[in-house]
Formats: sequence, structure tokens, C-alpha cells
Amino acid sequence: MKTVIVYKWARNAEDAAVRSDGSVDWRNAKMTAGEDDFAALEAAKAIAGDDDLVGLTIGDGDASWALARGVLQAVSVTDAPHLTDNASTAAIIAAAVRQIEGVDVVVIGDSEEYAGVPVALAGLLGWPAVAHVGSAAVSDGRVRIIRKQGRNEQTISIAAPVVIAVSAASPEKNIPGMKEQLAARKRPITKLTLAAVGAGCDDRLSSTATKLPETTAARVFAGDPAAAAAQLVAALRGEGVL
Amino acid sequence: MSHAWIIVTEEKQVAALTLAARGMGGRVIAVVVGPRALADATAAAGPDEVKWVETSQDRPPEAYAGPVARMIAADAPRAVVANATAEGRVLAGMVAARLGAAVIPGGLKLSASGDKTVVERADLDGKVIETVETTGPVVTFYAGDDAANEGSSCASIEQVAADDAADIKVERVEPAAGADAGINKAAVVVSVGRGLKRKDDLEIVRGLADVLGAEIGCSMPVADDLGWVEKERYVGRSGQHIAPRLYIAVGIQGAPQHMEGVRGAKVVVGINNDPDAAIFKSADYGIVGDLYEVVPALRAALGE
Repeated sequence: MKTVIVYKWARNAEDAAVRSDGSVDWRNAKMTAGEDDFAALEAAKAIAGDDDLVGLTIGDGDASWALARGVLQAVSVTDAPHLTDNASTAAIIAAAVRQIEGVDVVVIGDSEEYAGVPVALAGLLGWPAVAHVGSAAVSDGRVRIIRKQGRNEQTISIAAPVVIAVSAASPEKNIPGMKEQLAARKRPITKLTLAAVGAGCDDRLSSTATKLPETTAARVFAGDPAAAAAQLVAALRGEGVL
Repeated sequence: MSHAWIIVTEEKQVAALTLAARGMGGRVIAVVVGPRALADATAAAGPDEVKWVETSQDRPPEAYAGPVARMIAADAPRAVVANATAEGRVLAGMVAARLGAAVIPGGLKLSASGDKTVVERADLDGKVIETVETTGPVVTFYAGDDAANEGSSCASIEQVAADDAADIKVERVEPAAGADAGINKAAVVVSVGRGLKRKDDLEIVRGLADVLGAEIGCSMPVADDLGWVEKERYVGRSGQHIAPRLYIAVGIQGAPQHMEGVRGAKVVVGINNDPDAAIFKSADYGIVGDLYEVVPALRAALGE
């Protein structure tokens, strides 16, 4: 099945510094590979099999990420900005997917921070979707996914076209070396603009304020370990949990 | 005053979704995608109306995204609130596309202010609360606390036909690996993280677990990268979700991905030598100190 793997489509929340007044400083505004991107790529490879697998990225991140991990061609919408509205980001990705001919499956990381993007993407494409997917494969012309749901594991089959949102169970273990990085540089990246794919960049949401959350900080004991342990045990007995 | 919809695919947090949607100031209509029992439970949780889409046994809720989206879009609400579950989000994504709505994860509170819809949301793994507003419709995934059912009356339930479900089939459901592990049923769990320096030092933590009659758990790196503890004992977003009476996190920083696995715990204790560790922001109790000193002291205090 012809598959598109969407990667590096959001900023990494860890690149944001939260100041004491609750305002946010993005130290690195570039799109980066999300924690689910690698798992999504593995699922996309399994679905594509011997058929075409096309990388799709948006924004100003390094598009060679997927090319260094075995993808042979990529499309990059280079002037896509970061948007607060997840549906607006999804609209850019959907417009780019429509530029790629004959796509059967779109695979994307099921980011917790931007949890609306994969599902809004499916909605905008008008395709069915499944999220929180652990692994995927193709058999008998259908995509079969496995996902954890509570204490159960579900196997679900879906007819293409479909959007598959993948959640990583563990981080990437084997980062590509210099050889793969050099090979990636020789692989083609088709650079497109928002205008070329027919997408806008209006963020429908205005941010009017940020603040720190009201947290009920833990009752913390410090100092002499024996004294701290005794205080904790007394508190837990008071709670009735010992 | 604007009416709002909620999307229900599971019993959890229905009253909270209703309360959040109630912030728009008008009626709250629930669409329930699931069995009749879920529709009955939803009707008792506070919405003014319930539209029920019955699912067949081999079709997941996501198969009904198209008909649900058409039904909600025909009513043109200004706000739709869904759970952040895989099923709820997929349904909401289709609704958003039909409505032309902005999509906002992490929704906590909604309100209508003139022609604007105002949403307070948790951002950056909950480190910040951001207020956003728009003049168009919004779809948000609720990320706030649970709430008690509103009132004691039950809303009427109207079954809605949904004959054009998408071609999605549940082929098999089986217990996930580790689903029968003791950690899932344990009243007390002692979990260990990267603060532990050597695998052999697990014995220190096991000693505490023995005194408490607890099961051992761990953070993802301890099971996945280090392989010191069996993977079925890893607690977190993609691991076990547990609800013990007491959860003691030893040498665990407390990243949101880990804490998601213990959301159901009654009391959480953090032991960490970093006073700024995130665990102290979400735990009920904590000890700042070296686990190699604190854990033996805790064993002693428990009267081993």
C-alpha cells in the first residue's frame, strides 16, 4: 500500500522554558522529531512493504530525518508555521497529502501534546482513523493494527484509505550513523510551500494568557533520613494506607 | 448562552465532560457511542439529552465517526467536548472537520464571552495553563479532574440509526501482556527509576516492598533500556495503568508519561534526591534524600 509517513510536524514541548510568571519561552522553535515519530515510521514501513513510502514533513526542521532511516523520498512544506490550533496544522498536512498521488495510508505519531492533529487530519481527509496504535501490518488487502486498550490488546482491521496514529512504547534505540546520514543527503526532498499545496496558515486561536497551574505540592520531609522516614510513616498511617 | 455537545465512548469522566460543556452556558447534549448501559450511565451523569448510537460487537466506536460527525454538525454547536481517549479523539476529529472547528487538546474549562468561545487548557505536559479564544466553533479533549454527577434526574435517551459505519472491524481482543501481573491488583506498589545505580541495588527496593507486602514496579527506562525489571511491571503511558492504595516512587523523576500510569492511585509518595523533581509536584508526600539512605530508613520506620 502506498504509504505516507508524517514526521517532524511539531515543536518539542521540552524545548519550551516556562518562566516563573507562567509565560513560555521557546528556546528552539524548529519542528523536531516527536517521541512517537520513530514508532510511526516502523509501522509505516511495515504497511508499505515493497510499495512506495513517502516522507512528509512541515516547517523548518531537517527533512532528512526519515531519509536517514530508510525512506527513499520526502516532501517538505517548508514555510508551515507552528500553530496553536491542531486542526489548522492538520489542514496543512492534509493539503500536502493531497499533493501526493494515490496514497492509501497516512501514518503519523500519536503525539500526546498535539493529540488533535492526527484525528483532525483524518477528519479533513474524510478517512477513517485509529489512534494509540502499537504496531501495524497488511494482510488480505487490509491494514491490521494492534493497540492496547486498558488491560486488553485489540487487533483491528481497516480498509484503506486510513490514517493510523501510532504511540511509541519505547524510544528509538539505534540512531542512524554517519553512513546513513550521508546516504540521506542524496535522497530527493521535494520542497513545497503553503501556497503550492493550497493551505493557509491562519491560526484560529488567539492565546490571551498563560499561567502556572495551581498545584497541591507534596508534603515533603527532608533532613535526617530516619526522622523523615518516621514522619512519612506516621502520615501514611494517618491516611489509612498502611 | 450556547449549547454544547459531549462525545462519550466510555463511562469515565462523563459528569466532568458535562460540567465542562455546561460552561458554555446552555444545554448539553451527549452523543453516546457504545452499548445501552453506557447510554444509561451517561443519562444519569447530567446532560440534558442523550443521543445513543449502538455499536455492534465487532465494530469499534471509531467506525461511527462519519454518522456522529454529521449529526453534531447539523446542530452547529459552538463547542464539543470529548475524552482524550483514542476512540473519543477520532470521533471528535471527524466532528471538527465537519464543523470547521479549531481543535484544542488539554481542555479544562470552557466559557462563552459574546461571540467568543474561551477555553482554558493545560499545555506543555501540564506545566502551563493557557487561555485561548476564537470566534469559531471549538472541539476540545478534556484533561481536567473527574466530577460528581449533576443532580439526580435522568436525561431522555434517543437511539439514532447509524447504518453507514466505516469498514473497521475488531478481530480479536485478548489480555495484554502482563495484564494478569500482580502489579495490576496490588494494594501497594513500590516503583523504581533511574535513581537506582546498579541492578543489584534492586534488592534494597525489594526489601521495602517485602515489608509493605507490595509489588515492584518501575519507570520505562528501567524495564526498556536497562532490562532490570520485567517489562510487564513498567508503569506509565504505554505501560501499566494501576490504581493501588499506596504508590511509592523511588528514584523516579515523575515525568507526565510515568504519572499517567498511576492516576488512579489513592496516595502517591516520591523519594528523590532532587528537590525540584517533578514527582514532588504531583505526589501527596515526599522525602528529599538519597534513596540508598531513605529506603533502609523507611524499612526501619515500618518496623521490619
